[in-house]
Formats: sequence, C-alpha cells, structure tokens
Amino acid sequence: MAMWGKDPRVSVRYPGRMEVEKYVYTPGLHGLELAKALKEGRLIGTRCGDTIYFPPTTFCPDHAMGEPVEIKGPWIVEAYTVVREDSSSRRLDKPVVIAYITPLDAEGGLIHYVEASEEEIAPGIEVEPVFAPPEKRKGTIRDILYFKVKNSAQE
Amino acid sequence: MASRVAIVSMGWYGFKSSVDELSFREMMFEAATRAYETVGLDPRRDVDAFVSCQEDYWEGIAITDEFAPEPVGGVLRPTLTVAGDMLQGVAQAYMMIKTGYFDVVVVESHAKPSDITTMHGIFEMALDPLYLRPLNPPNMHFLAGLDAAAFLQRSRLGREHLAMVVAKNKRAGLSNSRASHAAPLSPDDVLSMEPVVDPLTRLDIAPFSDAAVVAVLASEEAARRFTDTPVWIEGISWITEAGTGALAWHTIGAMPGLRVAAKRALAMAGVSRIDTDTSFAEVDDRYSYVELLALEELGLGSPDEVARMLEDGDLDPGGYYPVNPSGGSLAAGVALEATAGFRLLEVYERLLAGGYEEGRERGVVASWRGPPTRTFSVAVLGV
Repeated sequence: MAMWGKDPRVSVRYPGRMEVEKYVYTPGLHGLELAKALKEGRLIGTRCGDTIYFPPTTFCPDHAMGEPVEIKGPWIVEAYTVVREDSSSRRLDKPVVIAYITPLDAEGGLIHYVEASEEEIAPGIEVEPVFAPPEKRKGTIRDILYFKVKNSAQE
Repeated sequence: MASRVAIVSMGWYGFKSSVDELSFREMMFEAATRAYETVGLDPRRDVDAFVSCQEDYWEGIAITDEFAPEPVGGVLRPTLTVAGDMLQGVAQAYMMIKTGYFDVVVVESHAKPSDITTMHGIFEMALDPLYLRPLNPPNMHFLAGLDAAAFLQRSRLGREHLAMVVAKNKRAGLSNSRASHAAPLSPDDVLSMEPVVDPLTRLDIAPFSDAAVVAVLASEEAARRFTDTPVWIEGISWITEAGTGALAWHTIGAMPGLRVAAKRALAMAGVSRIDTDTSFAEVDDRYSYVELLALEELGLGSPDEVARMLEDGDLDPGGYYPVNPSGGSLAAGVALEATAGFRLLEVYERLLAGGYEEGRERGVVASWRGPPTRTFSVAVLGV
C-alpha cells in the first residue's frame, strides 16, 4: 500500500459519465393508447380474453394482441410504504407515501404516490387518481399527480 | 446418461466496503488465480469455456462483455457473459457441461459498488421507463419497503421478526472473514432505529461490498483429474417473473418466481423437504424480510412456522436448520451480481468442511437478483 499512499483513488481517479439521460423511449402501441387516455384524464388497460391487464400490454399471455379497454376502478391500496430518507440518507422534510394500488376491474396495478396522512393510509382503503389540469398533461404517468383517499378532503 | 457436474474449486477476493487497491479486472484476476492454483489448473490449457456474470451499468462501461476474457485467462477462447447473478451463470455452465461438448467451464462474477457514485441513478434506470421511473422515487429501497410491508401484512409477523433476522445474521458473520459488516447486535438495536423506508431501518438493509468470485465447474470425469473432493451441483434452476411495468405478473409480498425455481431445483436433487434432506441454507437476505419470505417459498414452513423457528433459535448457526450461518448479505454485504457467488462459496466451503449427517450432506443456495428485478435462482449442492 505504501506505493500508492493511503487511498489510491484519492491520488488517481478516472471520473466517468454515462450519457443515459439522453435516451428516448418509444411507448409502443399500448403505451400510445395509454398516453392518449392520460391526456383525457382516463386510464386504459388491455383485454385478453376474459382478463383485463393494467398497465396495458400489447401482447397477451397467449401471445395474441389484446384490445384497449377503459379501467374505471375502484382503486384499492394493496400495500404502502412511507419513505423517510432519500437514497443519500438525507431525511426528507416531508415523508412520502408510495403505494401499490390495484383496480378491482383488472389484474395488475400501479405503484404511485398517495397524498394521505400516516393516520389515513392503510391497506385496503379506496383511493382515486388526481389528474393534472388538462393543459398540463403530457401523456405520461405523471399526468396522475397522485392518488387521494376517496372522499378525503385532500385536493 | 449425461455426466454429473461438480464444482472443483472456488476463489474469491475482497468482500470489503471498498477494495481500493485493485480495479475490478484485477479483482477478477486475483479470484481466478486463487481458484486455478488450488487445483493446479492452467486456464489456457484446461478450460473449455468461460462465463462472466456482469452488467454494463455496474461497470460504467458499455458492452463490458469485451472486458471479461482477459482477467480470467479467456482471451481467444469461448467466453460468454450473463447479465444476471452468478448462479444464473453457473446454470449456463452446468448445461454446457451436460451437453458433453464442454468438460471444464469457469464462471466468474465481480462487483465494485464502491466505484459507483450514482447508485440511485442506476437503480432508477432499471425501473420501467413508462410506468415507474417517471415517479422519480426519492429512495431506491422503496420497492423493498412495499414488498416488506405486504409480507408483514400477509404473514401477520412484526418488525421484531425482521430485527431478529438482522441480529442473527450480523452476529453469525463475526466468525466469517468475508463478513465485513458483521456486528454483535441485538434485535433491540434494530427496533430502536427509525425506519428509512417503512418498515425497514438502515440495519434491515444490507450494505454494499466489493468482491470477485470464481468457480471452476467440471464434468465428473474431468473433476476427478483436479480434485478428490468435488462438490456436486445436484439441482439448479432460475426464473424471471417480469419487469416492473408488468405488475400483473408480480405478487407483492411473495416471491412466486423463487417458489418455482426452488421447486425445480429441489426436484432435480430429489429433495422433498429442505430441513430433512439438506443440512443448511444460504438464502437471500439483502433485506431482513427476504430471509423469512425465501424460507417460506423454499417450503420450510408457513411464515408463522418459520418465525417460530427463528424465535426458538432453530435457524441459528448450530441450530436445527442453520440459515445463513455465514452471516448472509446483512453481514457480508451485497456484491451486486457476485452476491449469489458469495452464497455459493459459503455452501461450497461448508460442505467441504464436512461433518454432516449421512443423507443430508447437502446445502441450499437461494438467490434473488435484487430490486428492481424479479429474478430468482436456486441450487442444491452436495458431497
């Protein structure tokens, strides 16, 4: 170790940067259908025979193509976690609730933010999506700002 | 009938928070040299193919496959890379030998998380780009938090059971030279900490380690040329459920992929119950809850039964059925794709050490590739 000193990486470092932020993703056939629906404040899934999947998928389990169908809910919190620190171990000013939310009219679901207090949030409660104002929607999943507890005063 | 497949030697380097003195390629070289020298193997003459388990984002090098051959002696030789954990690579090598075209195949895996300054960014890049990544979750452990919460809810177990797993493994690691993160902790030490991502505290989340692991696999005939003490791969399987966008295929709070991989690997080995037909297991514990969930999916018992065994000390080193006597990842760290290599190495060395009851001279390796993957591998090793 004497050859290099205490920490060789302090004296010799080769910094690198992977230019990944420039990537663009093609949403695909089903992704485009969902993007259109999100802009209209709706959600769509894919019907494959008797089963509806959400998020939508172009291809069904039997490898046939499915057809888009609107998902109306109700949306139920299957599980939730409260995130109190970021990945760098910094305490968040306000803990955030992230939940796995499933629609009763489809298989699957969405992981998304829930605006709810720690007293309100619980597995099994019903929530509903809150969409961004129409002029601010971009056709992405963030057009859903968050889910709120159904009949909650939270807006 | 196709030859049996043995591990004839293993080598390793690192298992420290930060291996400052060597590059990842030099760590591969060191681990390979140790594996080869133990059995007097010349990689330029005696090895038919090489398998490297790695992933571009971990290396910070695109098409990093090209860097695989040189450190393990594989230049101008058949080399392939598996973008998966080491047990997946071992499964490929196993099948190659089973074909009869390959007698000796080397599998390597390595990890240098200390070189990664943007681990959160890499995790984010692995999330479904349409449905999950745009959420920009503040902590990369959020998926584990959700999974752990769902597991506790379904099993009706509590945070105290997770704390008991942490204390058991951190303490078991104190006698393991590879377990750099071992500590004499009590469950109360864990329970007194505020969760980072509910219900997981910092101690419930295994830290990272730099490490390289190399295994030499051989057909039965070739194995006898190198060693008198082969360790046989009696069963092996791996499964991927689906990406994080296809939530319909996931059961949160359960690991159906691990269940299927286990069923297949245990059946191959003729194991009906792990606690009666094998002597111990090294299972994924990169988060405390995963150990309990993995034991359920391996068929040891219901979460309730597994929890009772944990409470009674049955899962301790020296207990009825030791689980992670090495200290697991909670004590030795998560070495990215080499994490399964750590578990494999522990089972390999512990079987060589001997002293097991006749008919149960086997150990189980159960691996999860870690979040956000839903990829699982299981192997049964025996002597």
